[in-house]
Amino acid sequence: MKKVQRQRVLLGWILLVGLFLFAGCDSEHRFVKRTAFKGANQIVITFAGPVDEPWAKKMDHYAVYEKQDPDILLSLAGVTLSQDKTTVTLTFQETLNQEQPHVLSVKEIQSQGKPQGTALLTVKKAYLGYLLSVLLGAMIIKNFVFTKYLGLCVFFGTSQKKSTAVGMGVTFTLVMVASAMMSWFMYQFVLKPFRLDFLQIVVFIGLVSLSVQAVDTILRKVNPALFKAFGVYLVLVIANCIILAVPLILANNEYNALESLMLAVGAGGGFLVALFLMSSVRERLEVANVPPTYRGLPIAFITAGLFALAFMGFSGMSIF
Amino acid sequence: MDPVLVKSALIAVAVLGCIGLLFGIGLALAAQKFSVKANPKVEEVLEVLAGAQ
Repeated sequence: MKKVQRQRVLLGWILLVGLFLFAGCDSEHRFVKRTAFKGANQIVITFAGPVDEPWAKKMDHYAVYEKQDPDILLSLAGVTLSQDKTTVTLTFQETLNQEQPHVLSVKEIQSQGKPQGTALLTVKKAYLGYLLSVLLGAMIIKNFVFTKYLGLCVFFGTSQKKSTAVGMGVTFTLVMVASAMMSWFMYQFVLKPFRLDFLQIVVFIGLVSLSVQAVDTILRKVNPALFKAFGVYLVLVIANCIILAVPLILANNEYNALESLMLAVGAGGGFLVALFLMSSVRERLEVANVPPTYRGLPIAFITAGLFALAFMGFSGMSIF
Repeated sequence: MDPVLVKSALIAVAVLGCIGLLFGIGLALAAQKFSVKANPKVEEVLEVLAGAQ
Protein backbone atom coordinates (compact mmCIF):
# COMPACT_ATOMS: atom_id res chain seq x y z
CA MET A 1 0.00 0.00 0.00
CA LYS A 2 1.20 3.51 -0.76
CA LYS A 3 2.32 5.69 2.11
CA VAL A 4 -0.26 8.43 1.53
CA GLN A 5 -3.04 5.89 1.34
CA ARG A 6 -1.95 4.27 4.59
CA GLN A 7 -1.85 7.65 6.29
CA ARG A 8 -5.35 8.37 5.09
CA VAL A 9 -6.63 5.07 6.42
CA LEU A 10 -4.95 5.75 9.76
CA LEU A 11 -6.46 9.23 9.92
CA GLY A 12 -9.88 7.78 9.21
CA TRP A 13 -9.54 5.32 12.06
CA ILE A 14 -8.40 8.01 14.48
CA LEU A 15 -11.37 10.17 13.50
CA LEU A 16 -13.77 7.28 13.98
CA VAL A 17 -12.38 6.35 17.39
CA GLY A 18 -12.34 10.02 18.38
CA LEU A 19 -15.98 10.37 17.41
CA PHE A 20 -16.93 7.47 19.63
CA LEU A 21 -14.84 8.73 22.52
CA PHE A 22 -16.37 12.15 22.14
CA ALA A 23 -19.86 10.73 22.11
CA GLY A 24 -19.11 8.55 25.10
CA CYS A 25 -17.52 11.12 27.39
CA ASP A 26 -19.59 14.23 27.01
CA SER A 27 -20.34 16.19 30.17
CA GLU A 28 -23.89 15.70 31.34
CA HIS A 29 -24.58 19.19 32.60
CA ARG A 30 -22.53 22.36 32.34
CA PHE A 31 -22.85 23.23 36.03
CA VAL A 32 -22.09 19.76 37.44
CA LYS A 33 -18.45 18.72 37.55
CA ARG A 34 -18.72 15.15 38.75
CA THR A 35 -20.80 12.69 40.70
CA ALA A 36 -19.57 9.69 42.65
CA PHE A 37 -20.56 7.08 45.19
CA LYS A 38 -19.14 7.51 48.67
CA GLY A 39 -19.28 4.91 51.40
CA ALA A 40 -22.15 2.43 51.38
CA ASN A 41 -25.09 4.82 51.14
CA GLN A 42 -23.88 8.22 49.96
CA ILE A 43 -23.63 10.07 46.67
CA VAL A 44 -21.43 13.14 46.30
CA ILE A 45 -22.21 15.84 43.72
CA THR A 46 -19.54 18.40 42.92
CA PHE A 47 -20.78 21.60 41.29
CA ALA A 48 -18.75 23.99 39.17
CA GLY A 49 -19.59 26.88 41.50
CA PRO A 50 -21.20 27.61 44.86
CA VAL A 51 -24.90 26.72 45.13
CA ASP A 52 -27.49 28.42 47.35
CA GLU A 53 -27.94 26.83 50.73
CA PRO A 54 -31.76 26.98 50.98
CA TRP A 55 -32.02 25.35 47.59
CA ALA A 56 -29.44 22.67 48.34
CA LYS A 57 -30.97 21.70 51.68
CA LYS A 58 -34.37 20.91 50.23
CA MET A 59 -34.70 17.19 49.59
CA ASP A 60 -37.45 17.57 47.00
CA HIS A 61 -34.85 18.84 44.56
CA TYR A 62 -33.15 15.46 44.33
CA ALA A 63 -34.53 12.25 42.87
CA VAL A 64 -32.44 9.12 42.54
CA TYR A 65 -33.27 5.77 41.01
CA GLU A 66 -31.43 2.79 39.60
CA LYS A 67 -31.13 3.05 35.84
CA GLN A 68 -32.98 -0.24 35.38
CA ASP A 69 -36.00 0.65 37.52
CA PRO A 70 -37.06 4.26 36.94
CA ASP A 71 -40.27 3.62 38.91
CA ILE A 72 -38.57 2.95 42.23
CA LEU A 73 -37.24 6.18 43.73
CA LEU A 74 -34.67 5.72 46.48
CA SER A 75 -35.54 7.43 49.73
CA LEU A 76 -33.21 10.15 50.97
CA ALA A 77 -32.19 10.38 54.62
CA GLY A 78 -30.34 13.68 54.51
CA VAL A 79 -28.50 16.32 52.51
CA THR A 80 -25.30 18.06 53.64
CA LEU A 81 -23.57 20.98 51.97
CA SER A 82 -19.81 21.47 52.28
CA GLN A 83 -18.22 24.65 53.63
CA ASP A 84 -17.37 26.14 50.25
CA LYS A 85 -20.89 25.27 49.06
CA THR A 86 -19.74 23.42 45.94
CA THR A 87 -20.18 19.85 47.18
CA VAL A 88 -23.48 18.26 48.14
CA THR A 89 -23.55 14.89 49.89
CA LEU A 90 -26.76 12.90 49.69
CA THR A 91 -27.29 10.22 52.33
CA PHE A 92 -29.77 7.42 51.68
CA GLN A 93 -31.73 5.30 54.08
CA GLU A 94 -30.65 2.06 52.47
CA THR A 95 -27.36 0.76 51.12
CA LEU A 96 -26.89 1.56 47.43
CA ASN A 97 -26.26 -1.20 44.94
CA GLN A 98 -23.17 0.31 43.38
CA GLU A 99 -22.96 -2.31 40.64
CA GLN A 100 -25.89 -0.57 38.99
CA PRO A 101 -25.52 2.86 37.45
CA HIS A 102 -27.90 5.27 39.19
CA VAL A 103 -29.75 8.15 37.62
CA LEU A 104 -29.79 11.33 39.69
CA SER A 105 -31.99 14.25 38.77
CA VAL A 106 -31.21 17.60 40.34
CA LYS A 107 -34.03 20.10 39.84
CA GLU A 108 -33.68 23.83 39.21
CA ILE A 109 -30.16 24.33 40.47
CA GLN A 110 -29.76 27.75 42.11
CA SER A 111 -26.32 29.32 42.17
CA GLN A 112 -25.93 32.76 43.77
CA GLY A 113 -29.51 33.59 42.93
CA LYS A 114 -29.20 32.54 39.32
CA PRO A 115 -31.08 29.48 37.97
CA GLN A 116 -28.87 26.86 36.30
CA GLY A 117 -31.54 24.52 35.00
CA THR A 118 -32.28 20.91 35.81
CA ALA A 119 -29.59 18.24 35.51
CA LEU A 120 -30.14 14.56 34.77
CA LEU A 121 -26.95 12.78 35.83
CA THR A 122 -25.67 9.25 35.81
CA VAL A 123 -23.74 8.06 38.85
CA LYS A 124 -21.35 5.19 38.25
CA LYS A 125 -18.45 3.55 39.92
CA ALA A 126 -14.93 4.52 38.82
CA TYR A 127 -15.30 4.45 35.09
CA LEU A 128 -12.40 2.24 33.99
CA GLY A 129 -13.34 -0.35 36.58
CA TYR A 130 -16.93 -0.22 35.37
CA LEU A 131 -15.84 -0.71 31.76
CA LEU A 132 -13.65 -3.64 32.75
CA SER A 133 -16.50 -5.20 34.67
CA VAL A 134 -18.74 -4.90 31.59
CA LEU A 135 -16.01 -6.60 29.55
CA LEU A 136 -15.33 -9.44 31.98
CA GLY A 137 -19.02 -9.80 32.75
CA ALA A 138 -19.87 -10.41 29.10
CA MET A 139 -16.83 -12.63 28.64
CA ILE A 140 -16.88 -14.92 31.64
CA ILE A 141 -19.42 -14.22 34.37
CA LYS A 142 -22.37 -13.93 32.00
CA ASN A 143 -20.82 -15.88 29.15
CA PHE A 144 -23.34 -15.89 26.31
CA VAL A 145 -22.88 -19.54 25.44
CA PHE A 146 -22.68 -21.13 28.87
CA THR A 147 -25.04 -19.01 30.92
CA LYS A 148 -27.47 -17.63 28.35
CA TYR A 149 -27.36 -20.61 25.95
CA LEU A 150 -27.19 -18.41 22.87
CA GLY A 151 -25.43 -19.19 19.60
CA LEU A 152 -25.46 -22.93 20.21
CA CYS A 153 -25.85 -24.04 16.59
CA VAL A 154 -22.62 -22.40 15.49
CA PHE A 155 -21.02 -23.39 18.79
CA PHE A 156 -21.58 -27.10 18.19
CA GLY A 157 -20.97 -26.82 14.47
CA THR A 158 -17.50 -25.34 14.63
CA SER A 159 -16.03 -26.74 17.83
CA GLN A 160 -14.78 -30.05 16.46
CA LYS A 161 -11.26 -28.87 15.69
CA LYS A 162 -9.17 -26.35 17.55
CA SER A 163 -8.06 -24.50 14.41
CA THR A 164 -11.64 -24.14 13.17
CA ALA A 165 -12.78 -22.99 16.59
CA VAL A 166 -10.16 -20.27 16.83
CA GLY A 167 -10.85 -19.14 13.26
CA MET A 168 -14.55 -18.89 13.95
CA GLY A 169 -13.97 -17.11 17.25
CA VAL A 170 -11.71 -14.46 15.75
CA THR A 171 -13.97 -13.81 12.76
CA PHE A 172 -16.92 -13.66 15.07
CA THR A 173 -15.29 -11.09 17.36
CA LEU A 174 -14.38 -8.87 14.39
CA VAL A 175 -17.87 -8.90 12.91
CA MET A 176 -19.39 -8.53 16.35
CA VAL A 177 -17.47 -5.36 17.13
CA ALA A 178 -18.27 -3.84 13.73
CA SER A 179 -21.96 -4.61 13.85
CA ALA A 180 -22.42 -3.71 17.52
CA MET A 181 -20.84 -0.29 17.06
CA MET A 182 -22.97 0.35 13.96
CA SER A 183 -26.08 -0.75 15.82
CA TRP A 184 -25.24 1.50 18.73
CA PHE A 185 -24.78 4.44 16.39
CA MET A 186 -28.01 3.68 14.54
CA TYR A 187 -29.97 3.23 17.74
CA GLN A 188 -28.72 6.38 19.43
CA PHE A 189 -28.76 8.75 16.47
CA VAL A 190 -31.46 7.43 14.14
CA LEU A 191 -33.90 5.12 15.87
CA LYS A 192 -34.25 7.00 19.14
CA PRO A 193 -34.64 10.52 17.72
CA PHE A 194 -37.31 9.28 15.29
CA ARG A 195 -38.97 7.14 17.98
CA LEU A 196 -38.55 4.00 15.93
CA ASP A 197 -37.24 1.85 18.80
CA PHE A 198 -39.92 -0.71 18.11
CA LEU A 199 -38.20 -1.54 14.83
CA GLN A 200 -34.86 -2.24 16.47
CA ILE A 201 -34.83 -5.98 15.75
CA VAL A 202 -35.45 -5.46 12.04
CA VAL A 203 -32.79 -2.78 11.79
CA PHE A 204 -30.24 -4.78 13.77
CA ILE A 205 -30.72 -7.86 11.60
CA GLY A 206 -30.10 -5.69 8.55
CA LEU A 207 -27.00 -4.18 10.12
CA VAL A 208 -25.57 -7.59 10.99
CA SER A 209 -26.00 -8.82 7.44
CA LEU A 210 -24.57 -5.57 6.16
CA SER A 211 -21.43 -5.85 8.26
CA VAL A 212 -20.97 -9.51 7.35
CA GLN A 213 -21.33 -8.68 3.67
CA ALA A 214 -18.97 -5.71 3.95
CA VAL A 215 -16.30 -7.70 5.79
CA ASP A 216 -16.67 -10.46 3.18
CA THR A 217 -16.26 -8.08 0.25
CA ILE A 218 -13.36 -6.13 1.70
CA LEU A 219 -11.45 -9.09 3.12
CA ARG A 220 -11.67 -10.94 -0.20
CA LYS A 221 -9.71 -8.18 -1.88
CA VAL A 222 -7.47 -6.81 0.85
CA ASN A 223 -6.25 -10.04 2.40
CA PRO A 224 -7.04 -13.14 0.30
CA ALA A 225 -5.04 -15.41 2.59
CA LEU A 226 -7.08 -14.41 5.61
CA PHE A 227 -10.25 -14.68 3.54
CA LYS A 228 -9.39 -18.26 2.61
CA ALA A 229 -8.92 -19.11 6.26
CA PHE A 230 -11.94 -17.27 7.67
CA GLY A 231 -14.31 -16.82 4.70
CA VAL A 232 -16.23 -19.99 5.42
CA TYR A 233 -17.22 -18.87 8.90
CA LEU A 234 -18.36 -15.43 7.82
CA VAL A 235 -21.63 -16.78 6.48
CA LEU A 236 -22.18 -18.72 9.69
CA VAL A 237 -21.91 -15.53 11.71
CA ILE A 238 -25.18 -14.22 10.23
CA ALA A 239 -27.01 -17.21 11.65
CA ASN A 240 -25.70 -16.59 15.16
CA CYS A 241 -27.97 -15.23 17.85
CA ILE A 242 -25.26 -13.70 20.05
CA ILE A 243 -24.54 -11.20 17.35
CA LEU A 244 -28.17 -10.07 17.49
CA ALA A 245 -28.41 -10.28 21.28
CA VAL A 246 -25.59 -7.81 21.86
CA PRO A 247 -27.19 -4.86 19.99
CA LEU A 248 -30.48 -5.56 21.74
CA ILE A 249 -28.81 -5.60 25.16
CA LEU A 250 -26.93 -2.39 24.55
CA ALA A 251 -30.05 -0.71 23.25
CA ASN A 252 -32.13 -1.79 26.24
CA ASN A 253 -29.50 -0.73 28.78
CA GLU A 254 -28.79 2.58 27.02
CA TYR A 255 -25.06 1.84 27.00
CA ASN A 256 -22.77 4.57 25.70
CA ALA A 257 -20.14 4.02 23.02
CA LEU A 258 -17.34 2.75 25.23
CA GLU A 259 -19.60 0.43 27.19
CA SER A 260 -21.01 -0.94 23.94
CA LEU A 261 -17.52 -1.55 22.62
CA MET A 262 -16.60 -3.39 25.82
CA LEU A 263 -19.76 -5.48 25.66
CA ALA A 264 -19.10 -6.39 22.03
CA VAL A 265 -15.46 -7.30 22.65
CA GLY A 266 -16.47 -9.24 25.76
CA ALA A 267 -19.19 -11.17 23.96
CA GLY A 268 -16.84 -12.00 21.09
CA GLY A 269 -14.02 -12.95 23.44
CA GLY A 270 -16.41 -15.04 25.51
CA PHE A 271 -17.52 -16.92 22.42
CA LEU A 272 -13.87 -17.46 21.47
CA VAL A 273 -13.09 -18.78 24.96
CA ALA A 274 -16.12 -21.07 24.88
CA LEU A 275 -15.23 -22.43 21.44
CA PHE A 276 -11.61 -22.96 22.41
CA LEU A 277 -12.46 -24.82 25.62
CA MET A 278 -15.07 -26.94 23.89
CA SER A 279 -12.84 -27.82 20.95
CA SER A 280 -9.99 -28.84 23.26
CA VAL A 281 -12.31 -31.28 24.99
CA ARG A 282 -13.86 -32.56 21.79
CA GLU A 283 -10.46 -33.25 20.24
CA ARG A 284 -9.72 -35.52 23.17
CA LEU A 285 -13.14 -37.12 23.04
CA GLU A 286 -12.31 -38.28 19.51
CA VAL A 287 -9.80 -40.75 20.92
CA ALA A 288 -11.70 -41.57 24.11
CA ASN A 289 -13.69 -44.74 24.50
CA VAL A 290 -17.21 -43.31 24.44
CA PRO A 291 -20.22 -45.68 24.56
CA PRO A 292 -21.68 -45.97 21.07
CA THR A 293 -24.99 -44.32 22.00
CA TYR A 294 -23.21 -41.17 23.09
CA ARG A 295 -20.68 -40.88 20.28
CA GLY A 296 -20.61 -37.58 18.43
CA LEU A 297 -23.10 -34.88 19.27
CA PRO A 298 -24.71 -36.37 22.43
CA ILE A 299 -21.46 -36.43 24.37
CA ALA A 300 -20.78 -32.90 23.11
CA PHE A 301 -24.08 -31.78 24.61
CA ILE A 302 -23.14 -33.40 27.91
CA THR A 303 -19.75 -31.70 27.83
CA ALA A 304 -21.39 -28.34 27.18
CA GLY A 305 -23.68 -28.95 30.13
CA LEU A 306 -20.70 -29.66 32.37
CA PHE A 307 -19.04 -26.48 31.15
CA ALA A 308 -22.20 -24.55 31.92
CA LEU A 309 -22.18 -25.99 35.44
CA ALA A 310 -18.57 -24.97 35.86
CA PHE A 311 -19.32 -21.47 34.59
CA MET A 312 -22.13 -21.23 37.11
CA GLY A 313 -19.39 -20.92 39.70
CA PHE A 314 -18.70 -17.44 38.38
CA SER A 315 -22.29 -16.29 38.72
CA GLY A 316 -22.92 -13.39 41.03
CA MET A 317 -19.24 -12.55 41.14
CA SER A 318 -18.37 -8.88 41.00
CA ILE A 319 -15.06 -7.40 39.99
CA PHE A 320 -14.09 -3.89 41.08
CA MET B 1 -57.30 5.79 10.55
CA ASP B 2 -55.65 7.90 13.16
CA PRO B 3 -53.51 10.48 11.36
CA VAL B 4 -50.84 10.33 14.10
CA LEU B 5 -50.36 6.62 13.49
CA VAL B 6 -50.26 7.12 9.74
CA LYS B 7 -47.66 9.82 10.17
CA SER B 8 -45.42 7.69 12.39
CA ALA B 9 -45.76 4.78 9.98
CA LEU B 10 -44.79 7.00 7.06
CA ILE B 11 -41.79 8.34 9.00
CA ALA B 12 -40.72 4.77 9.73
CA VAL B 13 -41.01 3.81 6.07
CA ALA B 14 -39.09 6.89 4.97
CA VAL B 15 -36.28 6.55 7.49
CA LEU B 16 -35.80 2.83 7.01
CA GLY B 17 -36.00 3.26 3.25
CA CYS B 18 -33.28 5.91 3.36
CA ILE B 19 -31.07 3.75 5.59
CA GLY B 20 -31.54 0.75 3.35
CA LEU B 21 -30.86 2.74 0.20
CA LEU B 22 -27.76 4.34 1.72
CA PHE B 23 -26.27 1.05 2.86
CA GLY B 24 -27.23 -0.63 -0.39
CA ILE B 25 -25.37 2.01 -2.37
CA GLY B 26 -22.44 1.75 0.05
CA LEU B 27 -22.24 -2.02 -0.39
CA ALA B 28 -22.52 -1.73 -4.17
CA LEU B 29 -19.70 0.82 -4.28
CA ALA B 30 -17.57 -1.34 -1.97
CA ALA B 31 -18.22 -4.37 -4.12
CA GLN B 32 -17.13 -2.42 -7.18
CA LYS B 33 -14.04 -0.95 -5.56
CA PHE B 34 -12.92 -4.22 -4.02
CA SER B 35 -13.98 -6.39 -6.94
CA VAL B 36 -11.95 -9.54 -7.51
CA LYS B 37 -11.64 -10.93 -11.00
CA ALA B 38 -12.84 -14.51 -10.97
CA ASN B 39 -11.20 -16.87 -13.41
CA PRO B 40 -13.94 -17.93 -15.88
CA LYS B 41 -12.14 -21.22 -16.45
CA VAL B 42 -12.90 -22.30 -12.88
CA GLU B 43 -16.60 -22.20 -13.65
CA GLU B 44 -16.14 -24.12 -16.92
CA VAL B 45 -14.08 -26.83 -15.28
CA LEU B 46 -16.62 -27.18 -12.49
CA GLU B 47 -19.35 -27.50 -15.11
CA VAL B 48 -17.58 -30.42 -16.80
CA LEU B 49 -16.87 -32.28 -13.56
CA ALA B 50 -19.36 -34.76 -12.16
CA GLY B 51 -20.51 -32.48 -9.36
CA ALA B 52 -20.87 -35.04 -6.58
CA GLN B 53 -18.72 -33.55 -3.82
